[in-house]
Amino acid sequence: MKGKKLVSLSMAAVMCAGGLAVYGGQEVKADDKVSVVVATNWGEGDSKYDYFYPVFQKFQEENADTMDITLQTYSTEDYKTKIKTQTASGDLPDVFTYWGGGIMKDMVDAGLLLNVDDYFADSESVAKEDFDDGAFDYYIAGDGNAYGIPIESTRGVLLANKTLFEQYNLEYPTTYDELLEVGKVFNENGIIPMAIGSNGGTPSEFFYSELYNQYEGGADEIAALASGGNFNTDNAVKVADTLLDMIDNKLFPEDTMANGGWSASLQLYTDGKAAMTYTYPWMYESIPDDIQECSDIIPIPQMPGATIDPATIETGFTVYGFMINKASYEDPEKHDAILKVCDMLASDELTESLTESGMIPCKKVEVNKDSQKLIMQKTLDYAADKTLVQVHYTTMPSAEAITMMDSSLDELFINALTGQEFVDKVQAVLDKEK
Amino acid sequence: MNKYKKVPVCIGFLLPVFLIYTIFLFVPLVQSAYYSLTSWNGVTEKVFVGLDNFKALFSNSDYWITFWNTIKLVVISLCIQIPVGLLLAYLLYSKVKGMKIFRTIFFLPVVIAPVAISLMFSLFYNSEIGIFNKVLEAIGLGRFATNWLSNIHTLLYAVMVPQVWQYIGLYVTIFLGALQSMPEELSESAQIDGANRTQTFFHVVLPEIANFTNICVILCVTGSLKAFEHSWIMTGGGPGVRSAYLGVYMYKTAFVNSDFGTGSAITVTIVLLSLVITVLFNTISAWREKR
Repeated sequence: MKGKKLVSLSMAAVMCAGGLAVYGGQEVKADDKVSVVVATNWGEGDSKYDYFYPVFQKFQEENADTMDITLQTYSTEDYKTKIKTQTASGDLPDVFTYWGGGIMKDMVDAGLLLNVDDYFADSESVAKEDFDDGAFDYYIAGDGNAYGIPIESTRGVLLANKTLFEQYNLEYPTTYDELLEVGKVFNENGIIPMAIGSNGGTPSEFFYSELYNQYEGGADEIAALASGGNFNTDNAVKVADTLLDMIDNKLFPEDTMANGGWSASLQLYTDGKAAMTYTYPWMYESIPDDIQECSDIIPIPQMPGATIDPATIETGFTVYGFMINKASYEDPEKHDAILKVCDMLASDELTESLTESGMIPCKKVEVNKDSQKLIMQKTLDYAADKTLVQVHYTTMPSAEAITMMDSSLDELFINALTGQEFVDKVQAVLDKEK
Repeated sequence: MNKYKKVPVCIGFLLPVFLIYTIFLFVPLVQSAYYSLTSWNGVTEKVFVGLDNFKALFSNSDYWITFWNTIKLVVISLCIQIPVGLLLAYLLYSKVKGMKIFRTIFFLPVVIAPVAISLMFSLFYNSEIGIFNKVLEAIGLGRFATNWLSNIHTLLYAVMVPQVWQYIGLYVTIFLGALQSMPEELSESAQIDGANRTQTFFHVVLPEIANFTNICVILCVTGSLKAFEHSWIMTGGGPGVRSAYLGVYMYKTAFVNSDFGTGSAITVTIVLLSLVITVLFNTISAWREKR
């Protein structure tokens, strides 16, 4: 009996201890090393992981005597949630990759992020001038300061399968009417004209911006959103109505939800089920060599009433970079270690390595074009003479407005909203925040 | 004296559960209730706003869409999971050949991660590459083929199907356990008295396993009220919030839009809804037992 009691009490004690350990579990600082937490969405499976991790590992080994670096990686969507949760619990990583614009606004308002000028003032190996002009725009907050160090820039591309166009004796469309003609022929032959769906606003949101930039004043209106501009404009309704017309003319997959998202949209194209698709270089790892070979990058056909020649513009913007936890950086014990980590993340070595994953760097480094994938080489050639224009994603002033735009585009693509209703839903969120 | 000798043992057993429930359930619940009265983006200071979050919520059409989606899921789950679970359990109980294999097959989906099931169904539904429409066409029902996840009339139900299907096995297992614990003499004597199998089922078996049915109903209702994974994985609750339940709406509001105040208010309404339904059900059950 006594034995049973003892066992019972021991088990209860172990459970209590376990519970408390989980509740109060905190990272323990190892010896006299400085603990640094680095977080990124370049986890295993991400196209950048293979190019990032060897450089990181080398840095970790070189600094093993002085630093205890914890690397936290998650897939992109989980990563966004993780950072938000960590922010709410006051447990923000010391250095972490993250997005700018409306997504970083709350953190900037709360004074959690370091003004990157402070970092550049301390760094001996990295200078602000090492980056492309305008690369910091995405990270400039309302107070005029930049709170992120840009890593990746990108370009939106319309890929066309040359083989399929030749098979049906078709030319690449340059106007909307030509696009409708081409679409008709492809549909008659069981080919989806453009593999563009909308699930969570991808890739539809970026395609929407691409069309928006073709209209007079469109680029300025997109830029003005960041400083409190309106979304409810004639151009916004016009583009939404054009998209509805494209849907009615069966230019997109019928099941836009199931075929939405970056991967699913691209999959139809790489499987040869679609003649064109709209995508970004972060998807290039998923394009097989034979499809790269037969793909051309073409201008998006000019939409009805548009005045800007699409062959002269291309969406190009900073996608993301890394941010520095202000409190950690100002902690005298951690300062030097974090400075070193930041120097590594902004180093030419890592930047050059990442370009091999299909990344267009924000930092001015020599990109060896020959070592790039064929599709990336074509992208760089195509982008050479284009004027870069922005997308709504980078200028929307809040995360909620971006989410509303994404989810409402999903509704627009299944014909559940009119163009004006779509615009009104997004504007309502912007009005709420004013 | 003897009475108090067992106190340490009782405390020893109760303490872990008490601590776990307090730390992981009760405290967060109270915190959520407090957050629901604040305006908080998870970063800046919380500002007390009283019932403003609830007022804004109840005047938001998206909330009511997700509310009714959740109610629809509760009703459909109750109407399908419980009867089908009971029927399958009764068939297995009636000495079907290979009962153990069937029991395993029925329970198998329950232990598969909802993420995997949801992804699988997303592929099935895909009108370009999925098998669902192809099967319909193959069996001459091609006219019913549609874009399951892109059709506003089928979207919500398409998202419900995997969830409802996945957990039927759970109720099969519970009902089978209930049937096996029932004294066989009861059915035998009913049959000797001239009752056929249907009469035996409705007049002997069902009343005998009523308590288990109550448990299944509560599990089914609470499981539906906290539904999240299938909707989130298949459609992200969209387009808009057309396939979102309250749980998905809460997650999007709190963690995607960083509005923890309103997100917590949604949580409070989910808890209240669960309480109302559970109390209502227990009252009806008690009243029926008295009769």
